[in-house]
Amino acid sequence: MELLNLLSIGILLGGIYALVALGLNLIFGVIRVVNFAHGELVMLGMYGAWACSKLLKVDPYVTLLAVLPALFVLGLLIQRFVIQPLQNEHMMQMFATFALLTIAQNAVLVLTRGEGQSVNTALAGMAVELGDVRLTATRLVILGSVTAIALGLHLFLNRTLLGKSIRAVTQDRAAARLMGIHVERTFAITFGIGAALAGLAGVLLAPIYTLSPGIGGNFIFAAFAVVVLGGLGSVAGAYAGGMIVGVVESFAGFYIDPELKQAVWFLIFLAVLVFKPSGLFGQKGAEEMGMREQT
Amino acid sequence: MKAPLPVAARVESRVVASQLRSRRRMLALGAAGALAALAPLALLHGQPFWVNILISTYLFGGLAVAWNLMAGFAGQFSLGHGVFFAVGAYTTARLYLLWGVSPWLGLLPAALACALIGPLIFWPTFRLKGAFFAIATLAFNEVGVVCANYFESLTGGPRGLQIPFKPGFAQMIFTNPAHTAVLMFSYLALCVAAAVAVRRSRLGYYLLAVREDEDAARASGIDVTGVKLRGTALSAALTAVGGALFVMAVRTIDPPSLFSLPDIGFKFALLTLIGGIGTLAGPVVGAFLIIPTETWLRATLGGGLPGMHLVILGGLMLAAALFMRKGLVHAIVTLVERAQRWRTKGQRHD
Repeated sequence: MELLNLLSIGILLGGIYALVALGLNLIFGVIRVVNFAHGELVMLGMYGAWACSKLLKVDPYVTLLAVLPALFVLGLLIQRFVIQPLQNEHMMQMFATFALLTIAQNAVLVLTRGEGQSVNTALAGMAVELGDVRLTATRLVILGSVTAIALGLHLFLNRTLLGKSIRAVTQDRAAARLMGIHVERTFAITFGIGAALAGLAGVLLAPIYTLSPGIGGNFIFAAFAVVVLGGLGSVAGAYAGGMIVGVVESFAGFYIDPELKQAVWFLIFLAVLVFKPSGLFGQKGAEEMGMREQT
Repeated sequence: MKAPLPVAARVESRVVASQLRSRRRMLALGAAGALAALAPLALLHGQPFWVNILISTYLFGGLAVAWNLMAGFAGQFSLGHGVFFAVGAYTTARLYLLWGVSPWLGLLPAALACALIGPLIFWPTFRLKGAFFAIATLAFNEVGVVCANYFESLTGGPRGLQIPFKPGFAQMIFTNPAHTAVLMFSYLALCVAAAVAVRRSRLGYYLLAVREDEDAARASGIDVTGVKLRGTALSAALTAVGGALFVMAVRTIDPPSLFSLPDIGFKFALLTLIGGIGTLAGPVVGAFLIIPTETWLRATLGGGLPGMHLVILGGLMLAAALFMRKGLVHAIVTLVERAQRWRTKGQRHD
């Protein structure tokens, strides 16, 4: 019973990690931008949900209608005005996303005066009970949405023309341009979708966390770990990787020591980076792709 | 147009190399730099506010120089140097608190420990390139936080370690902050001297070769991993010394402050990138620009609106990244070179 309980806690937690990782997977896994500000995009999504639901008196889940487009546009702007000018300057790019992180975090701190906020939804407090295992409704929503989004994203990247062009620009920018793909626009759209997914994660996570400006830090390392573990650019990998990290964290927290649970999956993450840098589901050599200088 | 990073450094290294070739010129340059760095202390030694700013400027300047040894010279963009900083701080503080070992002696085992730990933990990650190396080393920082919280008997856990205020030269605790500033200046000078020595040495040329093109370096018989390991050992040891000086200056440490990314682990990179990565002067210039600006902004804005100073600092960082992509030193060197080329244009045909 204990085992089943731990497993369900782990999978629900894994759903959260996978959700955040899906957006990062597009930005880091597909277009290879090391976006340290991804956690802050999630945080902005959370505060967006909080502000909208408070101002308009609607359920936080409804605020998706406003938060998703807003973060998509924010993503477009970041790609166009910060990332694109620093193309081929990978270190400066990393540094610039760190500057964005600093700005976003502290701007929210200034605006909210650092008070912790919480978001209420009708679903809070509801739960499904299967024998001794209790699954809260808010977390089940996350698990359901992340599964649907992963499927949708997979189909989008593999079946649609836009999805294919996103993969093409990653593999070889020059060749993609010769095939008539508008490289800059594709990158901007990809970053926009990644940011919108971060916003979606923020809205769905808002009811289960106490909001603080620094909350993005809770997800960012997990998200990088998941993307690397699952394999860069692999949607299935991000999904499975999220589950693995979630389950490992829940088991390690119970059987080893709650304080060491994060160290355990950081070590797994390091081991994957060192021994199988292409990740569990990634294409071989994916980690080299897109890192070389392109025009 | 091959490697993206080093162009900045390549230009500067040409300029610097010509300066370094003659020992006399090098000494003159060093003396001028030291005087320029000491001048603010001489002018402001009576004002504790500014002396405290100078203390962190010198200290972080030195730390950035140490980081640049590895990130700039060898092209290994480490975000895990917070670990060495923390190990240095904890070792020195523990030895002092347990057995009363003077920090002057305590920093030796601290540096030695990091010279061993650094290569050991970085060795498996050296096959990773670019961003992947950065992320992997970032994970070291996070493992470090967890360990520091967990091993309470060594680190004091979340409560941290406090060092009683007992002024005295042997304890490295001074009542006059200007003395601490002189100590930190010496650390900066030590780091710069080490960087210059490395830059002139065979190891330095190996490091640059590895940065420019690893495969070519290996093909010409350089033991690439060995060179990276030696660079790491030196950089980690210097960082540990910085951590040791830090703990005796602030006298209270805990995991969040030692492993903080914006204040420690990432700051080394930040200062170096703004100044100019891979150059000798870059990290120092970056520290002299950023640390006083940051402290001054915090002092003037921090009281009314917490966080406001970091919004502005973040904006400045972003602007620096976008408009001086290769750092300030490179921007200046490019200007100087352009002026020189313009002057010699009439005499050369190329």
